[in-house]
Order: sequence, then C-alpha cells, then structure tokens
Amino acid sequence: MCPKEGSSLTRMTGAGDGIADFIQLGSDLENQEIESPGGIATPQLYGQLLAIYLLQNDLPNAKFLWKRIPQAIKSENAELSLIWALAQKMWQKDLPATYEALRKDWSDNVKSIMAAIQEATRNRVFLLVARAYSYIRAEELASFLGMSVNDAVIAAVSHEWTADSNTGMITPKKQEIPPEPPIPSEQQLSRLTDFVAFLEN
Amino acid sequence: MAMMANVLEQYVNNVTTLSQQGNFSQLCEFIGKSADVLAKNANHLDNVMGAFDVQQHSLGVLGILCIKYSLPNIADWEMLFIQTQEFIYTCNGEQVRYATDSYADLCHRFTQNLVEKKQAIRGIKILTKAISKIQLLPSQLTSIHADLCQLCLLSKCMKPALPFLQVDITEISKEGGQYDAKHFLLYYYYGGMIYTALKKYDLALYFYEVAVTTPCLAVSHIMLESYKKYIVVSLIVHGKIISLPKYTSHVVGKYIKSLCQPYHDLATSYSTSNPTELRNTLSKHTAVFTRDSNMGLVKQCVTSLYKKNIQRLTKTFLTLSLTDMANRVQLSNAREAEKYVLRMIEDGEIYATINQKDGMVRFHDNPEMYNNVAMLMKLDTEMQKCIQLDEKLKEMDREISVNPQFVQKSSGVHDEDLPGSSGPVTVKVPVGYTM
Repeated sequence: MCPKEGSSLTRMTGAGDGIADFIQLGSDLENQEIESPGGIATPQLYGQLLAIYLLQNDLPNAKFLWKRIPQAIKSENAELSLIWALAQKMWQKDLPATYEALRKDWSDNVKSIMAAIQEATRNRVFLLVARAYSYIRAEELASFLGMSVNDAVIAAVSHEWTADSNTGMITPKKQEIPPEPPIPSEQQLSRLTDFVAFLEN
Repeated sequence: MAMMANVLEQYVNNVTTLSQQGNFSQLCEFIGKSADVLAKNANHLDNVMGAFDVQQHSLGVLGILCIKYSLPNIADWEMLFIQTQEFIYTCNGEQVRYATDSYADLCHRFTQNLVEKKQAIRGIKILTKAISKIQLLPSQLTSIHADLCQLCLLSKCMKPALPFLQVDITEISKEGGQYDAKHFLLYYYYGGMIYTALKKYDLALYFYEVAVTTPCLAVSHIMLESYKKYIVVSLIVHGKIISLPKYTSHVVGKYIKSLCQPYHDLATSYSTSNPTELRNTLSKHTAVFTRDSNMGLVKQCVTSLYKKNIQRLTKTFLTLSLTDMANRVQLSNAREAEKYVLRMIEDGEIYATINQKDGMVRFHDNPEMYNNVAMLMKLDTEMQKCIQLDEKLKEMDREISVNPQFVQKSSGVHDEDLPGSSGPVTVKVPVGYTM
C-alpha cells in the first residue's frame, strides 16, 4: 500500500490522460442528457456525469445535476445517493469524510472515476498544503490525504518534505515555479508594432 | 369543404411557387395575410405541412407552426414538439431570416409551452440550434437568448447557456421591430442568475449591472430585481455596493433604490464589519429576502464578511496567532480560523502560510512580480480586446454619422418640418412587467 500511495502522488501534474478522457466523456454525457427522450436520462448516465463533475471539483454543476435528476430515479438507484453523499462532503471541504465517502463498493459504472477522484483530491491537497503550511502536524496531513500517519509521512518524504519524528511536524517543500517558455522575439516584436500603431492613431 | 380545401391548396401552391422563385419578401406578406384562413382550418394544418419540404419551404412551414401555437388548445403537444424540433434543425437559415419576427415568436411560444409543462430541459438543445441558425454573427443578441437562459435556469441545467453568455454582445437583432427591451433585460437578468448559481460572482455582477444601467424612462420589475441581486453580489465580491456608472438612468436613483431598503440596510450593516450586526439585519428582513428568493445569496454575505475581515488583518499584521485572529474576526476558535485561512489560500484570496507548530499565520505580499511571460500574455490579450473594442466603436460611430435621422437632427432641421420622419429611436421598457 505505501509505495503505491507514494507513486500516485508523483503524478502531480493533475491532468493526466485519464482525467482528460473523463472530461471528454463528461461533455458527451452532457449532450446526451439534454437530448434524452422526454429530457430524462438513464441512471448510469446521471451517476457517471455526477462523478465526473466531482472529479473536476465542479461542485455547483454537481449540485444542479443532483437537483434535476427525477426523484423516481434517485430512489431506485442507491448508488446515486452515495455519490451525492460524497459531493456533500466535498462541498463542506471535510477531507476525512470525503475519503470515507469514497471508500464504497462502487459499481463498474463509476469505479474508475471514483479512483480518479481520490487521486485528484490527494494531488490537490498536496499542492495546497505545500502552499499553505510552513509546519503541519503529521496526523493532520494524514487526515488531509486520507492515509495512515505512516503512509502520509512516507508520501511527504518522497517529495523531499522534511519530517521531524520528535515534534511530529512536517515541513512541506515550496513548489518550484516551472521555468517559462520564452516567446519568440519576432512574434513579440510584431505584437509591439501592432500596439504602437494602435496607440499612435 | 371544397372551398376549404381550395383555400389551403392555394396556400400550398403560393408557398411552393414563391419559394421556387426566391421571392421571399412577397411570400412573407402572403403568409401574413393567410393567418386567418389557416387558423380557421386548424384540423387540416398537418396535411398542409405534409405537402412541404422543410428545407425548401421553410417560410411556409414556419407560418403553419406559428398558427398551431396560437390556437387556444394544442391538441397533440408531442407532435408539435417534434414538428418544431424538425423545423429548427432543418429549416433554411437564409429563408427564415426574412421572417425573424415570426421565427422568434415561434421560439417564445415553444419556450412558454415547455415552461408550463415543466419540460424545460427538452428545449435547451433546440434553442441553442435556433439561435446559431438565425444569428448573423455570434456577437448578435436575439430575443431567443432570454428564452434559452430561462430554460437553463428552470431545468437547473446551466452549462449550455455559457457559450452564449461568454460572447460580448455587439449588436441586437431587430426582428422586424419586434425586439422588445424586455428580452434584453431578461437576458442580462437571467444571465446574471446563471453566473450567480455557478458562483461566478464577478461575471454575474457585470450582467446585473447591464440590466440596471439600461437606459429607461420608467421602472421595470426586471431592473428592480436585478438591482437587488446587484447589491448582494456586489457585497459578496467587493464588500460594498459598487457605485453605478454615471450614465445610469435617473429613475434607478429616484425610484428603484427606495424600493430596496432592506438591501441597503444589509449593505449598511456589512459596512460596520461586525458579523453580529449583519446577522441581525439578515434576520430582521428574512421575510423580504425569502420572498425575493434571495435568501441563499444573502447568507453568502456572512461568509464574505468573515473573509473580508481576515483580508483586512493582512494589511495590519505580518504574523498573527490563529487564536488572536479568531477573536478579532469573531470566529468561534482557532480551528475555525484555520479553516477559513486555508480556504482563502486555496482560492487565492490571501497569501499566507500557517504554522501548526506555534499556531501562527504569517501573511505575505502578493507573489506576482509582474515580470513573467504569463503576465505579458495577459496584458497582450487585454490590449487586443481594447483594440477590437475601439474598432467596433469607430464602426458604430460611422454608422450613426450617416444615419439620415441623425443627420437631420444634427443639421438643425426639426422633426415637425419633415412629415413622415419617425424621430429618434427610444428604448421601450415594459412598465409593471412581472416575472
């Protein structure tokens, strides 16, 4: 379990190919939904779309989707309520409860999306902690990441964060700003020409 | 019976012939005159429609559909829905541009029926298609835009409206003189509501502002409701009511403001920076806010006030303990203060680091040094927008300077000396229009 957690955190760029595919699926589903006969889609569609909104951390759209799913479909499909329960925890920014809500026996319909949500949430939190904390308690980090304290320390150390076993404090390493690609000078020159021409007229 | 058939046959023949000849103006005139005859033969309209090809005889089909919607009862709604859908999807854009007023009217009635039957979501795709088909350019506002926004709001399916809302409007479709100020105001009011629902408050504020600052001589209910939301969203985004621009019509100051006292009370108590005071005002006017369906939005002001108070601390202190912060901004404890700070760092609302070792927060300056490529790109896009806007303004200025009415006015010749002149165009605002 530990090495796997660590390695999942190494893909910090966030938008892996998997996520891009899910986002594409999401916009296909949006189209399908509004073209459904009578405006009512299948429970499978609602479940996947709801999960994909959560993957994108797009909570307002998740909320409105939940509100427009017909009551009959909600009551017949227990999994939809489980996804919505997850959405509520995310809305409240209650991270430990979010991981708890993720630990369900998901159907194949949403299983892979749920795994991606867990990874995306951890990545987001990891980046946030790096930005927001100079010192954070190991237990706090563990609850933010939904891991055991041990795993959290391993994950932190693998990112060159320092862990002090005496104080139980972790010092995140500040995110380095990636070097910027330079703009070709001709392009920049032509833009400046445009601006000057505009300002002088 | 024979005569009826004859009359309908004549409709079919005229539509076919005039369409073939490409004589669409005359065809529109003929269809307009046939309305009564068609309405009297309501039972046979589907047969008549069967004689047409939607693509070739778009105006003929449009004429019949408009009659079907204007009948006192719609016999078979599903049938009419499918006919409307097929018409919008396959009609010939060139042809229907000769009858933009009927086309828009069809969309309004279609929308109205979906709203009454609580089937809003079914119309979204069709209306997006209807708009792109009739628009001369993507930045042209049609009266159908407001219908689309209404369906999106009612069905709680907001995203399909965004591609339309994101385009800056540069002109308004005249729709045969049928474009009413109501459609314009509703578009900006509904658009603001959609952005509010999606928590894009700065964009929402702009939409409400456009609605409130629309030139007018009388109070419109749409403007009144927009103004209420403008106040609340302005508090959420800026912590105060942003003053309206100078060109705002004087009726806003004169009448609308006095109709929004509870909202001004809200702003006043917000300005004390005291959460207790704000909550008191909120509970004092709960009935009004609830009646206006603004309660959820008003509650966001409370969170916003805590955040603004925390932001203010960053101007005074370099470091502060979480406990001290909780006391100063009246949060219940250090833990809650930490939660707020963390959220605000996440949303880029403050620059700070939390130290759990000593329970302190250290505030930083904005790390943006304005010396990087991203900032240059941003500046670049903003400049491009300004250049485009400038071009658009010059173009509009040219159009006005060659407008015969304008030339007459500015050359000192008076209206009354020129029989047949209709005078300057005034924006018609519905008085007492209720939502």
